[in-house]
Amino acid sequence: MTILIIILLACITFFSRYLFLHPKLPLRIGAKTTHFLSFSAPAVLTAIWVPIIFVQDNNFNTSLTNPYLLGATVAIITAYKSHSVYLTLGTSLTVFALLQFTLI
Amino acid sequence: MSLNKKMTSMGVVLKGVLAMLPLNLAVLPWGILCGSLAIQRGFSVPEAIMMPLLVFAGAVQLVVIELINDNAPLATILFTAFIISSRHFLYGLALRDKLKDLPFKWRGSLGFLLTDELFALAGTANAYQGKFKLIYALAAGGSFYLCWLLWNIIGIIAGSYLPDLTSIGLDFAIAVTFIALVIPSITNLAMLVTVVVAGFLSVLLKLLDWELGLVISALVAMYCGYLTAKKQSSTNTIKTSEQI
Repeated sequence: MTILIIILLACITFFSRYLFLHPKLPLRIGAKTTHFLSFSAPAVLTAIWVPIIFVQDNNFNTSLTNPYLLGATVAIITAYKSHSVYLTLGTSLTVFALLQFTLI
Repeated sequence: MSLNKKMTSMGVVLKGVLAMLPLNLAVLPWGILCGSLAIQRGFSVPEAIMMPLLVFAGAVQLVVIELINDNAPLATILFTAFIISSRHFLYGLALRDKLKDLPFKWRGSLGFLLTDELFALAGTANAYQGKFKLIYALAAGGSFYLCWLLWNIIGIIAGSYLPDLTSIGLDFAIAVTFIALVIPSITNLAMLVTVVVAGFLSVLLKLLDWELGLVISALVAMYCGYLTAKKQSSTNTIKTSEQI
């Protein structure tokens, strides 16, 4: 059963990447749809990362000693100021690792 | 092919691989987590390997593994994967004019490799033009595929021996990768509205334990962003027409 799901998933990801590279398109995509899709990446990615930060074991964690929250704050500030993926990863992972050691 | 030409294509391959290297390394924690998570959520080793080998999409793998483990209905799993993948339609659309008339071997292979990372590296105006640029993109995308597969396999091996890797905070590395991608893209009010709505709803629906939480949060957020942009452009039009 899982194998079948994996194959169907593979079809979906390939379809989404390949569709508009195909010479003859069965459908036309309008300016409105394109505009709507332009919000897809921030919406989907945010809907994945925000719960990782705030929800642990099905509980809403806003405690100031939550290393996820503190690390994410550092990441947001670094990303906003630097626009660099590597700098953001570097600083926030360091802060997060240090907090894991000191807070537990 | 003359020796000289062969040397040049080798150089182009090397250039593509080197340009992709930082991104190949940036997804290391993510790949390890995806591999180990699959094992810990009851996937067999061949099934866990098929995920990066065939599906080859980090966000889809991460989210869907949990859904399969929760015995979510097939329609929910596939619809969630479709919504997560929907941003890729835009990448194909952006590259359409350059790639649509090429033979299938190029379209098919570059299409398969068209991840966020490859698009970020080679989504610019002069990419994919001429054979060397295509080889460059193929080498960059191909090296990313091989690394992703390798990181997943490391995760599969680690996951068979080590306890839950989310407990040591590997999931934090993924959150940060997304923060680094999303925050710089907030350049206007519409994007800000999208991100705030997606963040608020996703936490709320996660706490309520809704299986379609991600899909609903993302779609509502996209719509709110779209409406904000529309409203802003219409007020701007009124303002300009008043000035005239």
